[in-house]
Amino acid sequence: MSDNDCVVEASNIKFAYESDDAVKYVLKDVSLNLKRGSYVSLLGRNGSGKSTFSKLVDVLELPEDGQIKVFGIVTSDESRYMDIRRRTGCVFQNPDNQIVGTTVEEDVAFGPENLGVPNPELRERVDSALKYVGLYDLRNRQTANLSGGQKQKLAIAGILAMKPELLLLDEATAMLDPVSREEFLTLVERLIKDENITVLTITHDMSEADRTDYVYIMENGRIIDQGKPQDVLTNVPKIKECGLDAPIYSKLVYRLSTLTNTPYEEDEIKSFDGMLRYVTKNYNPRDIKLINDRKEQENKVFSVSNITYYYDKDLCALNNVSLDVYKGELLAIVGRSGCGKTTLISHFNGIIRPEGEGNVEFFDGEKVYTTRKKGDIKMIRQKVGLVFQYPEYQLFEETVYKDICYGPMKMGMPEDEMKKSVLAAVEAVGLDDSVLDKSPFELSGGQQRRVAMAGVLAMKPEVLVLDEPAAGLDPAGRKDMFDMIRNLKRKGTTIILVTHNMDEAYANSDRICVIKSGSLMTVSNPQELFEDKAKLEKMEIAIPPLVDMLEKISDALKLSDEDRRKLLRATNVSEAAILIGGQDA
Amino acid sequence: MLKDVSIGRYYQGNSILHKTDPRIKVILFVAYMVTVFFITKIPTVAALLLSTIVIIIMGRLPLKVVWNSVKPILPIAFFIFAINALTIKEGNALWKLWKFTVTDEGLMKAFLMSFRLLMLILITSILLTLTTTPLKLSDALEKLFSPLKVFKAPVHEMAMMMSIALRFIPTLTDETDKIMKAQVSRGADYDTGSILNRLKGYITVLIPLFISSFRRAEELAIAMEARCYSGGTGRTKLNPLKITGKDILVLVFLTILAASIIAVEKLI
Repeated sequence: MSDNDCVVEASNIKFAYESDDAVKYVLKDVSLNLKRGSYVSLLGRNGSGKSTFSKLVDVLELPEDGQIKVFGIVTSDESRYMDIRRRTGCVFQNPDNQIVGTTVEEDVAFGPENLGVPNPELRERVDSALKYVGLYDLRNRQTANLSGGQKQKLAIAGILAMKPELLLLDEATAMLDPVSREEFLTLVERLIKDENITVLTITHDMSEADRTDYVYIMENGRIIDQGKPQDVLTNVPKIKECGLDAPIYSKLVYRLSTLTNTPYEEDEIKSFDGMLRYVTKNYNPRDIKLINDRKEQENKVFSVSNITYYYDKDLCALNNVSLDVYKGELLAIVGRSGCGKTTLISHFNGIIRPEGEGNVEFFDGEKVYTTRKKGDIKMIRQKVGLVFQYPEYQLFEETVYKDICYGPMKMGMPEDEMKKSVLAAVEAVGLDDSVLDKSPFELSGGQQRRVAMAGVLAMKPEVLVLDEPAAGLDPAGRKDMFDMIRNLKRKGTTIILVTHNMDEAYANSDRICVIKSGSLMTVSNPQELFEDKAKLEKMEIAIPPLVDMLEKISDALKLSDEDRRKLLRATNVSEAAILIGGQDA
Repeated sequence: MLKDVSIGRYYQGNSILHKTDPRIKVILFVAYMVTVFFITKIPTVAALLLSTIVIIIMGRLPLKVVWNSVKPILPIAFFIFAINALTIKEGNALWKLWKFTVTDEGLMKAFLMSFRLLMLILITSILLTLTTTPLKLSDALEKLFSPLKVFKAPVHEMAMMMSIALRFIPTLTDETDKIMKAQVSRGADYDTGSILNRLKGYITVLIPLFISSFRRAEELAIAMEARCYSGGTGRTKLNPLKITGKDILVLVFLTILAASIIAVEKLI
């Protein structure tokens, strides 16, 4: 392969971060090639070394052993590393931490200014980059006032103005809602087509990886698998072992085949149509049994009525929202970023107190507490535990134990009860007692999040509100998180889950509440929500892949209306497999 | 909780003041700072207030925005006023309050002290932060201090540091707000209890804020390096500073205004 068509050539890379006591190899032996114009994803669980690798490509770090050539230039060549960087652009995960400029155009200009591009070419580059990503009209806007999706597009514009040949995306879509994510990916794919840019994307989103031409899977500092996405990602057991997630159709075929001992042809697990062939060939379910039959809940535990909230005089964040929450249920609140979800839950425990007609009430047997009464707020804060997004950023104490104790101490829990409560909370979030004496800051990100959640659980709340609890976690981490949440629910905690991930809302909730631009659109059980397609479109809600798949299977199997409805009761692949594979399975 | 804080926030606009070369604004800013310290008489106070109003009109700033930038300072201004009013003993006694005597001279001095402080903040806001983007401001400082480069002073680096600090004020304000909400949910209380208790409460905000700032700084440094930043040498500018006729006009007009304030002070 000549230098010309290979943009990145990495061979036998080793890399270690130095720490106090031991040398820990993050990359043990990585070899990887990127052809010009290719669209490649690098997958693996958190801490498998993916981000480190991308830093080596952009010469932000140098390999300890082995060699990386980018555009045919060896990265360790000190005289030429700038030639690599100027042709390579990076978009990182957190939009806020990569913006330098105060206004949009100042930020786009930062890169080319560093390259010494003179005016008027500089102005031209900035303008055309902004037009390309669709931010030209906002060029004098302050960067702090952009939405997350706009900030990531701004990052792309900043790179585009440097005329890059290679684009590295390091979990660039992790903090975006589904609509912004789709816009971002469309933009990237347009760039590949228009400018023949090579893209390496690091992601935890399997549907994103599925769109690329080639996939590398990294585990423990090594590349352990590579190939076309439809070959690599559909290898269900192996993908699961790497902490990743296979496409839903492959999971169903795999599940069915192990459940009923029916082997599948290789092409049947590799595509949606293959899955349909496999299902129609082998199964003919009739009289599907009824699962997940929901009883109407009766005991109201918590009620929000007529909440209206304005940010400024004319900027309405919430418009007359009323909502009842029943004991023991899991209620999902879904909607795009900035639709008012966080403002709504801030009302739940009196951080924001209702104005005008609004009221928030908590029912405790005969007693009713309301956030309108200042005296009740302390009680309500204890009964309604709120875990905001990225709660790990709130830890502050010397030890995990002290941090978890903070809440119970503030509410005046007696010492011995507090101790028990802390231990129970730590167990509930799936951590080991041994972390209690450690500093929260030496734990991993995932563990920190659990500690922060334990800090709220230790206050023994009856209602737990979780704002995007799985944000930024890899597929295995997400699964653990939701296992934990379901466990809490089983033990009787009422849970309100705020998310923009429809799949997770669908799989875990008893009811889904949809919010769009500050207004409550509907509250209904997940199955009914997805029956009315026209209404869904109006609410800007995407159909979860599981629902979509089950509907297509029902069509292919020519199920009766009743059976179809029963099949759609499945909330995950395992349940679907049981329903399709037969009652006795 | 903190959404009203607006120190260091730029107010987007298209006024003459917004368009004026930032170097001119920095020079004018220094001129007005000096003027503020000349003031000792009531007519001058009025003259200064009047000129400030003229500048606010030139910047087409809504009064609410201007008010928001002064508001956080009011308690400090009041504190300074109270301390001075109660402790200055010169002049004729007006009232006796327990051990303290309030005199006419004391009142006047106290008023001037707190008035100067408020004017300092106000002028900084309207001439600099509200009408000038941080990057332009740091450009101006870099240019104005560039003679110091002869002495190997890191002028560009200082300017860059300043503009990044200003750029992150809104981000960190939002973050502080988020952390406070989270800690309040865990029972923290920042408004009641003894002062010691409240200070302890703020530790629960400050530690996470420090830690996240360090994390942000690290990530930003990497992002800047990835965008080929390597110091000030060889950099070009999208909007290079250029002094036009209009800028000179603003400079002359506002200098005359400042001079006439001093004239009022000296002549009346």
